[in-house]
Amino acid sequence: MISLYMAGNSWAHRLPARVKLLFLFVLSLLIIPFNTLWFSAALLAFVVALYATLGRRGLEKVKVVRPLLWMMVIILLVHAFLGDIEQGIIAVLRLLAMVLLANFISITTHMEALMDAVEPLFRPLRVFGISPMRMSLAVALVIRFVPVLLAVYASLQEAYKARTARSNSWRLLAPFALHAIKMTDHVSEALTARGGADGFDRS
Amino acid sequence: MSSDRSLVQIAFYAALIAALGLVPKIELGLAGGIPITAQSLGVMLAGMMLGPVRGGLAVALLLFLVALGLPFLAGGRGGIGVFYGMTAGYLAGYFFGAVAVGAIMRAMRNMNVVFGAIVSGVLGGIVVVHAFGVPVLAYKADMTLYNAFLVGSLPFIPGDLIKVALATLVAHTIARGLPSAMLSRS
Amino acid sequence: MNDTSKSISFDHVSIERGGATIISDVSVALPDQRVGIIGRNGSGKSTLVRSLNGLLPISAGSLVVHGVSSGEGAKKLARVTGFVFQNPDHQLIFPTALEELSFGLRQLGVGKADAKAQGLALLKEHGIAELAERPVHELSEGQKQLICILAVLIMEPKLVVLDEPFSSLDLRTRAALRRKLEKLDQQIIFVSHELDALSDYDKVLWIEDGRVKQLGAPVDVLAAYEEHELSGAHLHFEGVARA
Ligand SMILES: Nc1ncnc2c1ncn2[C@@H]1O[C@H](COP(=O)(O)OP(=O)(O)OP(=O)(O)O)[C@@H](O)[C@H]1O
Ligand SMILES: [Mg+2]
Repeated sequence: MISLYMAGNSWAHRLPARVKLLFLFVLSLLIIPFNTLWFSAALLAFVVALYATLGRRGLEKVKVVRPLLWMMVIILLVHAFLGDIEQGIIAVLRLLAMVLLANFISITTHMEALMDAVEPLFRPLRVFGISPMRMSLAVALVIRFVPVLLAVYASLQEAYKARTARSNSWRLLAPFALHAIKMTDHVSEALTARGGADGFDRS
Repeated sequence: MSSDRSLVQIAFYAALIAALGLVPKIELGLAGGIPITAQSLGVMLAGMMLGPVRGGLAVALLLFLVALGLPFLAGGRGGIGVFYGMTAGYLAGYFFGAVAVGAIMRAMRNMNVVFGAIVSGVLGGIVVVHAFGVPVLAYKADMTLYNAFLVGSLPFIPGDLIKVALATLVAHTIARGLPSAMLSRS
Repeated sequence: MNDTSKSISFDHVSIERGGATIISDVSVALPDQRVGIIGRNGSGKSTLVRSLNGLLPISAGSLVVHGVSSGEGAKKLARVTGFVFQNPDHQLIFPTALEELSFGLRQLGVGKADAKAQGLALLKEHGIAELAERPVHELSEGQKQLICILAVLIMEPKLVVLDEPFSSLDLRTRAALRRKLEKLDQQIIFVSHELDALSDYDKVLWIEDGRVKQLGAPVDVLAAYEEHELSGAHLHFEGVARA
């Protein structure tokens, strides 16, 4: 599974995940009162400069905001229509800046480091039976299941195509779900067979 | 039910929501140029099948993975950035939507599955999701609630209604073919 | 007589599933190192072997597996009995082989780093170290099933149960995995429809309609089974209907 993470050893990679998360959180609160065009533009420039410190490959990662662009165009249009295009530009600049800044953490922090960084936040969940062990097991299971589900869907599609010459249909959805849900019983059986979510000598 | 099975089911629905958003082939079509993916269909299904607690946990787990940087949102989006974007409210809406769908489904467990699925799908899967999505969009884009609704929600509602129909179809199929998997009704 | 700490004994065991009695009153002792289990589809083979590691509770009688009795709970049974299922996609829990192997050790309380190192060592030993970090969904069926087997072996169970583990594998891969199984010191219970594969086992157990039909040397049991099943094959469609 391709995550956003970009392997590397830059200053940003070496910074502890917790520091980065805290910085993001604090900054997102601090900028609220500063609602001018110049401030927003400077903020975006600052964030893009952060990407630039990672080098060329880093700067290219700015592209992650591409899927947001059409929505930003709509926001601009709405504001233009209402006659306050400046407010629209400010909103879009801030959105871009904050999304890019947040993604900067995703790009420079390994998944496991992020998970370790936020683990203390989840400790209170223990009372509900959600232990860190269970969390990481659940995370692994999702990453494991996604490609399996895509494969199950692809094979149903093939079977459907072989008989109808059409490759896709909403008709596949219910059999897909039925087929896939049956799989969960097998997997939980396999988990139980190896000691279950809590293990043998741990609990 | 065993806790192992519970854990696997939660992870499974988190993965299902991701898969439904990822496969371009499951895209349901275009509404005014906007591709509608089946992602929120997965959210409805999680609530309908698992009930409020596990359904909500499934969505929360998915969002956690997204925050960890995995590209599990529609179109392969992921990373902490999505929680700072203008659609962040819809993500919160997914969570509360799944909880609402599950709660309504559970409250209606003695009624017809199809009826329960339609009611919970429309109220939880559409109304609740947009109720969280629109205000955040309005705030982030500096628009009025009404304008945010016009650009951020209205175009998607026809697609959402189709998804309620599909989720209902799936729920109906599962209720007949694999009733033990309908935890919301047990 | 038999050393019960290294054997399996069913004593008047019955197992129910979904309200129906699937295994009825089975009493049999299996002290031999390698035991094959055969029988028609739906005869109850999977049901019987699932009780060995507590996946299915027994509803009557008693069961002792390598010194652990069914009364001690499913978890105790799972600790002594490793289980390899038919479909690797249904038992691989983790996205990579290395995580899959180290999970088993973590279950036993081994630390994270140690578990990884030992997992990697085992992969090396079997010549597949390069698969360690590859996403499992990219691997071949044979590679996946090998990883499932290793994931069970790394936990050092005293008994390894394999329920038709090779049905989706090609001849070559089957032979290779079978050779790996031959080298194991553990007791092995192998459920299979490929009779040839069981010809060099110590014992073969034939299950029919949830009861023991025959237990004995492979030559005798396999021949009797084949004779019984094929003699009137054209007449016996109820077996298929039932399955
Ligand atoms: N979950 C279940 N609930 C109720 N009955 C079941 C369940 N699973 C299996 N059975 C029934 O138990 C009987 C024995 O099934 P089992 O899977 O043990 O057979 P088997 O010998 O392993 O067959 P095969 O060779 O096809 O794997 C069958 O009649 C089957 O229909
Ligand atoms: Mg079987």
